[in-house]
Amino acid sequence: MANVVTSSASSAGHWLRPDIVRQLIWYLLIVVLVFWCITAPSRDANLSLYFSFMMWITLASSLNFIAGFAGYMPFGFVAFYGLGAYGTGIAVKVLGLPIWLGVPCGAALGVAFALLVAPSLRLAGIYFAIVSLSLAIICQRVVALLPEWLTGGSLGINLGVVADREHGYYAMVLVLVGVLVTASWLARSRLGKALKAIRDDVEAADAMGIDVARSRLKAWLLAALFASLVGGVDAWFTGAFDTQTAFDVLVTAKTVIYAMAGGLGTALGPVVGAGVLVWVDDQIWRAFPVLNNFLLGLLIVVLILFAPRGIVGSLMQRFPRLRRYVM
Amino acid sequence: MSDTVLEVQALTKRFGGLVAVDGVSLEVRKGQIVGLIGINGAGKTTLMNCVNGIYRSDDGQVRLNNADITRKTPHEIALAGVGRTFQVPRTFRRMDLIDNLMVPLLHTDASDADLTARAEDGLRQVGLYELRHNHGEELSGGQQKLLELARVIMLDPELILLDEPFAGVNPSLCRIMLQQIEKLRDASKSFLLVSHDLTSIYRLSDHLYVLNQGEIIAEGLVEDVQNDPVVIEAYLGN
Repeated sequence: MANVVTSSASSAGHWLRPDIVRQLIWYLLIVVLVFWCITAPSRDANLSLYFSFMMWITLASSLNFIAGFAGYMPFGFVAFYGLGAYGTGIAVKVLGLPIWLGVPCGAALGVAFALLVAPSLRLAGIYFAIVSLSLAIICQRVVALLPEWLTGGSLGINLGVVADREHGYYAMVLVLVGVLVTASWLARSRLGKALKAIRDDVEAADAMGIDVARSRLKAWLLAALFASLVGGVDAWFTGAFDTQTAFDVLVTAKTVIYAMAGGLGTALGPVVGAGVLVWVDDQIWRAFPVLNNFLLGLLIVVLILFAPRGIVGSLMQRFPRLRRYVM
Repeated sequence: MSDTVLEVQALTKRFGGLVAVDGVSLEVRKGQIVGLIGINGAGKTTLMNCVNGIYRSDDGQVRLNNADITRKTPHEIALAGVGRTFQVPRTFRRMDLIDNLMVPLLHTDASDADLTARAEDGLRQVGLYELRHNHGEELSGGQQKLLELARVIMLDPELILLDEPFAGVNPSLCRIMLQQIEKLRDASKSFLLVSHDLTSIYRLSDHLYVLNQGEIIAEGLVEDVQNDPVVIEAYLGN
């Protein structure tokens, strides 16, 4: 028999209801996080580090929509990031659009690709993961083979004066807010519950009236949208990219590791995972530049061994009452 | 007007060269509990999977309230009025019990507060309310069976397919389950019940079908089927 997870709802006042406390904590976290990031330029902070921090939180959170909520692990997730960057670059360099319009064009390209390959969601588990990885590799090859006037060939695209670190930085703050608000909505919504049911047992969810195909497609498109936006905004911030950097499999690997380290399936997990690991990575790099990757790898192995459900997931498993306060 | 809720006509399902269900026909009427028995591998679960759309049948037809549902998807069949439980309980293991019971209600227009209230009420009915904040994976096997039954009740289907509902369930939980089934029958719900627990199935069933190697070998009232020499031979051999 199961140990009862107790509730304090009956004794608590109305405003202290766990669901309200949970939302308050979450929105407070968003406000603090955004304030901290938005004031970084005025504090002469390391913009690249802050940008990287926001970028990985956004990527890990968007991966969480499809992997954490719906249970589909896309090993080719980088395809959306890469297409977002190239879509933005082409819109700016070839079509002559302003960069703030180029980024949505890049996002549209990523979402269109997600729609095109959506039938791969009929597969599950490792089969889906491998097909997704293959699609990303195909995507990289196709972009590399496109005419030089379009994608810049082996030199990639250089946005030149259009690239703007400061505006790119603030654009990333906006994308971060978007992904966090979407994550909190998804965690509370009926779609989120349907996705979790699909993750836990797709046939049982189907037999309980959940439209599996439609629900997972929504999660897939949401994940693609934010990953493509990140690709476009990163292009805005850095100004130059090629097929090697835009479709680097390490982008997927880091996104997966950060999301898993925090804990898939909650809105909070990927924020904690990406936040902690980006910070730890920076600290290790400052202290032990030669051993940076070795020590970070070691930390990840230890984390996965001792907290297989991630930091947030394992805490919720160890202290079940926390579940009611974690978004 | 016919009171037939489910009508299966000459249903066949093959897996390669193996004919798992071979031209099976049966019907379930309103408020009736129809039992389906047979030895392991007889094709009982495969038949259920064909009825609720998990498997596409190769031949034959499934009709619900005279409407053809043979080619519909499981979620369409569920929303048309067919709920089911599984032989091995399949709860949503990382969702709490309230969310587990809310899943079948997600398509409705009811408010979230109403869904929560209905889910809590459903848990009370099967004695799992105290565990409402636990995850599905934290329940015992018997409790998971009860949770599945409560979940299917939430769907409010006309026809409920129960696959081995009493397997691995202790007597006190079994009693709760039997009470719920009888209560639902009194509310004119219909059942297709698969079980190895012959005592329970004989007690509950209004009509019985016996499946052997994918074919119906006997049907009728419980007392007729119990004494049928073909059935005795299928179960006990010569």
